[in-house]
Amino acid sequence: MTDATSNILDEATPEHRRGSGLMRLALSNEFGLALLIALAFGIFAMTLPGFTSPFSLFTIGRQIGIDTMIGLAMMAVIVTGGLDLSVGAIGVCAAMVFGYLAQIAGVPLPLAIPLAIAFGSVLGFINGYVVVRSGVHSFIITLASMSIFFGIMIFLTQAQSFNALPLAVPAMGKLRVGGPISILLIITLVVCAALSIFYRYTTLGRQMLAAGANARAAELSGIRTGRIIIACHMLTGGLAALAGLMLTARTGAAVPSMAGHLGQDWLLPAFLAPVLGGTLLSGGRVSVIGTLLGAAFVTIMTSGLLLMRVGEFWILACLGLMLLLAVLADRLRHQVLRARGMI
Amino acid sequence: MSALQVSHVSKAFPGVKALDDVSMTLRGGSVHALLGENGAGKSTLIKIMTGIHKADSGSITMEGKPVRFGNPRQAAAGGLGVVHQERNLVTRFSVSENIMLDRLGKHSLSSVDYPAIAAEAARWLKLLDLDVDPSTPVSRLSVAQMQLVEIGKALSLQSRVLLLDEPTASLTPSEAQVLFRILRRLRDDGVAIGFVSHKLEEVFDICDTVTVLRDGRNACDSAGLKSLNRDDVVQMMIGRAERISKRAARSKPATAPYLELQDYSSTAGHKDISLAVRPGEILGLYGLVGAGRSELAKAVLGLSGQTGGEIRVAGRHVKINSVAEALALGIGYVSEDRKAEGLILLHSVLANAGITVWKRLANALGFLRDATIASHVGPVLKKLEVKTPSLDQTIGNLSGGNQQKVSVAKWIAAGVKLLIIDEPSVGIDIKTKAYLHDLIHELAESGTAVLLITSDLTEMVDVADRVAVMDGYRIQGLVENDRNYERVSTAIMGLIHGRKAA
Repeated sequence: MTDATSNILDEATPEHRRGSGLMRLALSNEFGLALLIALAFGIFAMTLPGFTSPFSLFTIGRQIGIDTMIGLAMMAVIVTGGLDLSVGAIGVCAAMVFGYLAQIAGVPLPLAIPLAIAFGSVLGFINGYVVVRSGVHSFIITLASMSIFFGIMIFLTQAQSFNALPLAVPAMGKLRVGGPISILLIITLVVCAALSIFYRYTTLGRQMLAAGANARAAELSGIRTGRIIIACHMLTGGLAALAGLMLTARTGAAVPSMAGHLGQDWLLPAFLAPVLGGTLLSGGRVSVIGTLLGAAFVTIMTSGLLLMRVGEFWILACLGLMLLLAVLADRLRHQVLRARGMI
Repeated sequence: MSALQVSHVSKAFPGVKALDDVSMTLRGGSVHALLGENGAGKSTLIKIMTGIHKADSGSITMEGKPVRFGNPRQAAAGGLGVVHQERNLVTRFSVSENIMLDRLGKHSLSSVDYPAIAAEAARWLKLLDLDVDPSTPVSRLSVAQMQLVEIGKALSLQSRVLLLDEPTASLTPSEAQVLFRILRRLRDDGVAIGFVSHKLEEVFDICDTVTVLRDGRNACDSAGLKSLNRDDVVQMMIGRAERISKRAARSKPATAPYLELQDYSSTAGHKDISLAVRPGEILGLYGLVGAGRSELAKAVLGLSGQTGGEIRVAGRHVKINSVAEALALGIGYVSEDRKAEGLILLHSVLANAGITVWKRLANALGFLRDATIASHVGPVLKKLEVKTPSLDQTIGNLSGGNQQKVSVAKWIAAGVKLLIIDEPSVGIDIKTKAYLHDLIHELAESGTAVLLITSDLTEMVDVADRVAVMDGYRIQGLVENDRNYERVSTAIMGLIHGRKAA
């Protein structure tokens, strides 16, 4: 294809040359994040004894695995320019369904796991369906569904944990592969790879990006935008369920409060990872690697600060500040894109 | 003394010299045309005048005094008003609030004196012959009226220089005439008017002097238009004489219609629409803005509900509920609003050109590779001479003409049997426009049915085989096009205005 198009540079507009080279590199979040991660890790490794111990590395890696999965769940719906406040609630609900299936109903794990993930997708479908049919922004819809999902779950479980799960479940949480690497991190890396391929090489993935960037244009190009947006919410639900299962494995039990009240403890990492990673809040552009790096940065910062005995509330404030900065960076990105006529 | 003088202004962006030693002089009491093809530097020049960009060298003076505006606000305060191509009105606010938007009160917390701003706004509305109540929300105005409100807003800032960027792009000929009458009066009052347009007829109609830019340089600097003719100006714009296309009327294909509407009514408000487009035929759909033409296209695509009548595609009775179903039936639609509806500006040329064929090219599992798409759409993009550094280039960075080519290319790549093209040459330079006209003919010659919607009568007479005339969401009649501009345009206008008189 290059010879078909390489002869036609002569009508280059001034703007589009700015898009290459140094500026693009400087604007790339992945690059900046990798630098920040290296810097933070280096400083903590040198100043905090025990930060690089095998156990510490194992728990950091495991936490990166879980936080990335939570971030990916949110990323899948930010693609549409929307959001899903109910990720935490869906994650916990799916974990409780899994707990019921594995502990009470005696369903074997290879079946219980996909069933729990499918259940998460069903909850995501409900979100997506209502968002598309009502035309109301996903913020309000998922604020409502967060309370509904969580409320029903508490009612059905009587707020009781499932803490006699098959032993394989807590074993998964402790399993190390190749030294200090948690199996949960490996699972996340596999999902990252799958999602990267999904957005790049499948029709559905491309349609999600198209519908997210400009729903009207996508619709007029023959894409069934409504269905695609519902599919995005289902993907979010499935990934949130997977994150819930991973948290269950780490905890060793399915606990209704494991994501905080209404699952709200997940919201900060859910937004931090993709937004730090360069996923555009207005939709249409994702970075799976960025989300992974974003979650890694947040986890390393949190672990380091905890080891430094910084109070947890200060860490939360610090994460909030980080989210604010990330959102400002997102606005900046948006303005740069707009100035170049790309939005 | 000149009202606004641009002297030897140069501006370079990394890698490209956008303006090179450009000069232009606007005098009070005169209308000055700023012409040039897309990418010639018109927008950059306007942005420099209004302070959005800084010039690398050169100077700008107003009434002899050097000025250097830091932003459009300062420019407005300095007496340089600009009416941009895009609407910049708060549609839910009233006309008077819009006109007085940045002067609603002495400071942010002072209360708004509505009678005072209404009175002030009424003064400008009167000057512009705009017979609307200042308290009317802008959303209830027609496009032409909104345009006048914007001009009123610019004038109310005591502008002595008024720059209009393609003010007639969304106006019908008669609305444009109203605008011109007002511009002439402003001119007679001593305002210096700068006029950017792609329509040369208008330029010769209203302008006194002209500056032509080509590739960022002056092809001419503030020359009198009296001594020039149309060919001279075209010559300066494109560097060679315009190929005046005198197409012969084409023979009507005798094939069965590909798309046929019979007594079709829609929830959008269409009543008893009957028309047919045959393979190989270019059917024009003409009407004033608001006649329901684009709405008809979108209704047929399934974006509005059908309330009566019948749609037949290739002789088969069909119901179309979505664009996806329309595409499956071989119907494509090139939107008049390229940026909002036609393209996904954030994504690459390849993604935009291939969006219609992803499904078809994917394997059984839904996987597809860029190379597969590129091998499919690449030849089409090459044939249409789309100029892009690579297929991965973000499409928002291409010129308007190239963007428009891609929005046509994606339907050709999809192999549609009927292509609905809505206002193909809005915001496009002459060269690309002529190219698109050739392309539409070529498509028809190869057996595609084309439904062409345009508000440009010259374009309609030049391209269409037959013209269906629409007004008030109904078809008023059909005019055979024999390329005789006088006869065809008279017949079309008769169909539109005959009904109104009755």
